[in-house]
Amino acid sequence: MIPALVVIVVLVVLVALFAVAYAGRNRRQPDDIDSFRRQIDALSPEARRETSDRMKPSDGASNGDDGANGT
Amino acid sequence: MMVPMARDLAIDLGTANTLVYMKGRGIVLNEPSVIALNRQTGEVLATGREAWQMIGRTPGYIVAVRPLRGGAITDFEITERMIRLLLQRVGVSRFTRPKVVICVPSAITEVERRAVTDAARRAGAADANLIEQPMAAAIGADLPIDEPVGNMVIDIGGGTSETAVISLGGIVALEAVRVGSFDIDAAIQNYVRREHGIAIGERTAEEIKVAIGSADPTPDENQAEVRGRDLMTGLPKTVILTPEEVRYAIEDVVSSIVASVIRCLSKAPPELSQDFLVRGMYLVGGGGLLRGLAERIERETEVPVKMSNVPLEAVVLGAGHVIEHYEALKGMFMGARR
Repeated sequence: MIPALVVIVVLVVLVALFAVAYAGRNRRQPDDIDSFRRQIDALSPEARRETSDRMKPSDGASNGDDGANGT
Repeated sequence: MMVPMARDLAIDLGTANTLVYMKGRGIVLNEPSVIALNRQTGEVLATGREAWQMIGRTPGYIVAVRPLRGGAITDFEITERMIRLLLQRVGVSRFTRPKVVICVPSAITEVERRAVTDAARRAGAADANLIEQPMAAAIGADLPIDEPVGNMVIDIGGGTSETAVISLGGIVALEAVRVGSFDIDAAIQNYVRREHGIAIGERTAEEIKVAIGSADPTPDENQAEVRGRDLMTGLPKTVILTPEEVRYAIEDVVSSIVASVIRCLSKAPPELSQDFLVRGMYLVGGGGLLRGLAERIERETEVPVKMSNVPLEAVVLGAGHVIEHYEALKGMFMGARR
C-alpha cells in the first residue's frame, strides 16, 4: 500500500514539475520577441536622436584633438 | 572643486585615445591613452594629453607609455591605473560605482576580454560589459541598423581595423586585422630610417602622416621638411619627404586594410551585398581620416565609401546610446548573444 502511494506521489510531483517547466518555456517565447522588439525600437533613429544631440562635449570635457588621431 | 555624482558610463578604450560618455550628459572626456610614470617609484606623473606631450621627450627616470596595443591591454596594472585616474576625473569614487560599457575590438581573445572587464571593475566600476567597436560605431554613426538592410562600417583605429556588415541590430559578417594608424606611423619611421638614414620619433611620424600622408594620390600635394637625428653622425639633420615616398612607405599597411574590407564584402550574404552598392560603406575612426583612403577603398571595391559625420566619436556615441538604453540593449553585449 505504502510503496504504491509513494509511486503516485512521485508521479504527481514529476507531472507538476513538467507542467511548470512547459509553462515557463511557453512564457519565454513572447519575452524573447518582446526583448528583440525593444532592442530594435531602441536602435531606431528617433531613439538615437537624443544621444546624437549630446555630441557636444560638456563644459568640463577635455578634447583630445591635438592628440593622436587614431582611436 | 565640486565633484559630480558618477552616472553610468560608456568608454571607448582605444589604443590611441580614450573617450568617456556619461549617461544623460554626453562625452565628458577625450584624451590620448597615455600614462607617464616615474620609472623608479612607479608613481603616476601624468595621464592623457599631458602624458602624450611627454612621449619621446622624457628624462631617463620618466616613461610615457601607451598601455594598449592592437586594441588589447599590454600592461594590465598600468591600464588599471590609467582607467582609475580617468574614472576619478569624471567623478567616480569608491562611493559612486557606475555601470560601465566598454568598446573593444571584436577580435580580442577571451583572456583579453577578461583583462578589460577586470581592469574596469578594479578601477571602480560596479559592473563592466563589453561591446564590439564596429557595432558601437554603426550605432554612433547613425546607420539604420534597426532595419533589415545591409549596413557596412569600416572602423580604422590606432591598433585595429575592423569591417562589419550589420543588419537588424546584429553583426552578419566581420573581418578584423590588428593593423591601424600606429602601424602607418611605424612604417613612416622605418622608411625615413632606412632610406634617409635619420631617426624620428613616433610623434614626428604621426605629424608627417597628417601633413602629407595619403593612401591614393590627392590634389594639392606638398613636400614636408623632416627633422631627426642622423644615424651616422648623431647630429640633427633635415630631409625633404615627398607624398609619393610616404605612400610607398605605408603601402603594405594600407593594402592590408583594403584587403580586410574586401574579405568582409565577400563574406556578406548576397541579399545584403546589393544594399552596399546603393547605400555605400561608412568609414569611422581616426585612421579613416588618412587622405585618399576612402577613394582607395572605393576604387578597389567599386562600392561607394562615405565618411561618418563623427569619425572620432562614433564608437563612444554608440556605446553611450547603449548605456542610455541599458535594459533594452543589454542583449548586444559581447557574450550575451551566445
